Amino acid sequence: MRSHGHHFLAVAAVLCLLPPALFAQIVAEPGHALVARTVNSAPTPSGATPRTPDGHPDLSGVWNALGDDLTGVPNQMANDGISIDSATSSHDVFNGAKIATFPRNTNRGLDTEKAERAASLLRRLGANRPIYKPEYWEMVKNLDENANEEDPSNNCLPSGIPRAGYPSYIGQTASYFIFIYPGQGGLIATQTMYRMVPADGRKHTPLQDLDGTYTGEAIAHWDGDTLVVDSWGFDANTWFDQIGGYFHSENMHVIERFHRDGNTLTWTATVEDPDVLLEPWTSTPRVALLNPDPHAILLESQPCSERDLGHIVTKEHH
Amino acid sequence: MRAQIMPSKIWMLAAMLAAMLTPMSHSAVAQTDKSKPASETAPAAASGDAANRTKVLRAAADALGMVRWSDIGAGPIHLPGIDAVNTMEIRATGTVGQSADAEYHVALAYNPPAMRVEITRKAAAGGAPQHTIQTVREKYAWNESEIGAGLEPGKGTATPAIADQKERLLQLWILPYGVVKAAIAAGDKTAVSTENGATVITFPLSGSLADVSVKATLDSKSLVAKVETRSDNAALTNLVTETEYSDYADHGELLTDIKSPGHIVEKKAGRPALDIRVKMVDANNPYLVFPIPANVKAASAAGK
Repeated sequence: MRSHGHHFLAVAAVLCLLPPALFAQIVAEPGHALVARTVNSAPTPSGATPRTPDGHPDLSGVWNALGDDLTGVPNQMANDGISIDSATSSHDVFNGAKIATFPRNTNRGLDTEKAERAASLLRRLGANRPIYKPEYWEMVKNLDENANEEDPSNNCLPSGIPRAGYPSYIGQTASYFIFIYPGQGGLIATQTMYRMVPADGRKHTPLQDLDGTYTGEAIAHWDGDTLVVDSWGFDANTWFDQIGGYFHSENMHVIERFHRDGNTLTWTATVEDPDVLLEPWTSTPRVALLNPDPHAILLESQPCSERDLGHIVTKEHH
Repeated sequence: MRAQIMPSKIWMLAAMLAAMLTPMSHSAVAQTDKSKPASETAPAAASGDAANRTKVLRAAADALGMVRWSDIGAGPIHLPGIDAVNTMEIRATGTVGQSADAEYHVALAYNPPAMRVEITRKAAAGGAPQHTIQTVREKYAWNESEIGAGLEPGKGTATPAIADQKERLLQLWILPYGVVKAAIAAGDKTAVSTENGATVITFPLSGSLADVSVKATLDSKSLVAKVETRSDNAALTNLVTETEYSDYADHGELLTDIKSPGHIVEKKAGRPALDIRVKMVDANNPYLVFPIPANVKAASAAGK
């Protein structure tokens, strides 16, 4: 679903297919009507943070809304660390650098080609980049430039961890968590993934005894009110962020942190991979909003069916 | 009726644009209190001047393809345009200093401000080609024996070059994108005028380049055609530059709608420094990083 020239129709089709519950997540505040927004900054927390009987924050629920549902370029920009705070002000979340912001000089929609090229630029604008060892710099650049052919999640393979971001659904018990990542078409075509993450005090299996997988071996524990999910045992067939050609080795170690504040959930992932990185890299925080509908459920994902790859004629991509 | 309404609409729009762009600071070009000759000669920033400045800078940014937005998958979100230029790679050939047929390869970033210039000079008879890598990032400057030297044990040598920091960083800000970014960041210290029918933008740089003022001349399409820099410090003659840009196009294999000059001619202190033809520009914010070697940081801290 990544090929040049097909995205816009693909995205439009996917958006048409999205369930009403998902659009409900775009409501600015519970009970308010759907309104156009001119910012992509993180939602402001509201309400109390509920707790489970054992005293930990209750992370359970459907979590995909304003800041990070992957369905549109504005949110992908937010994921990459560009916060458009108002019609006149934007900044890079990573280092606070201000970014010049301009009113649109036309209300006409961009044609597909211009919109695609702009999307590609905007999604790569953030300063928070993993620092690879110098011998891999050219490789990373080339992987990104040739993502139409090189992206390992093409052909509907799983995006893997931590590229998947935060889960759209969290189920929580005292001893384990269930994470569900619905598959998506359009901008980032991915296969549905799930993880069952124990939080019972067990230790990791020695790395050499694990067969690498897309989601690795994950074990959770609480660090105060923050849930920490520690994973290793990955195969090397994924990239670890949404863009950038950020490949990794089988020795990648991922530490995810989930923190609930009222109706928001802040997620970060730290990637350690001394085989290829000069230093650990931590993603820009992504802030999810709890679905305000207490009866919200995740509907079945549309099946991912790759039909575009064979028709790619340029390197242009998101 | 239309004639009565339009002027007020235009005025409101201009005022709105002015409010949006003024004052705009950038981490790379922090505001400075030090007044520069260009701004000293400008009249107090009246609202009309501010509106004209805003209009001119927007036009220059648009001409280069810097102001971008995309509504793909946006649903009810309609974001304003933002400056979409950060990292860029340029490959060119031509005369560098006294060397003809040189290969000129630049990797640059504006957030944080950094530039790596790799020059390969043609071999003299019987000799090997000369290859230099000169890097700058913010207040640090160093030479690399190979790309990324000094970051891993046994992988090349990074030699501090703090004395060259200003000269190298200046090269980033006199590129067309740097001119527009720095002029916006300078806020009401940026002045717009007309010389010989051409639009001229003058502004001071800031930070370590606070003693440098810039004069940029736009062509009829609002593209940056000529950039001149002057320094308060008479000893820093290499900060006195004159650069001409022409043959703008989207030079990327991966098209971005970012316009870049195809021909760059630069003089430093009145002497020819560059005359290069651009072969390729990757403007799609490619993966370009500039980590600072530990010995370079240490040398800077020690004032070496």
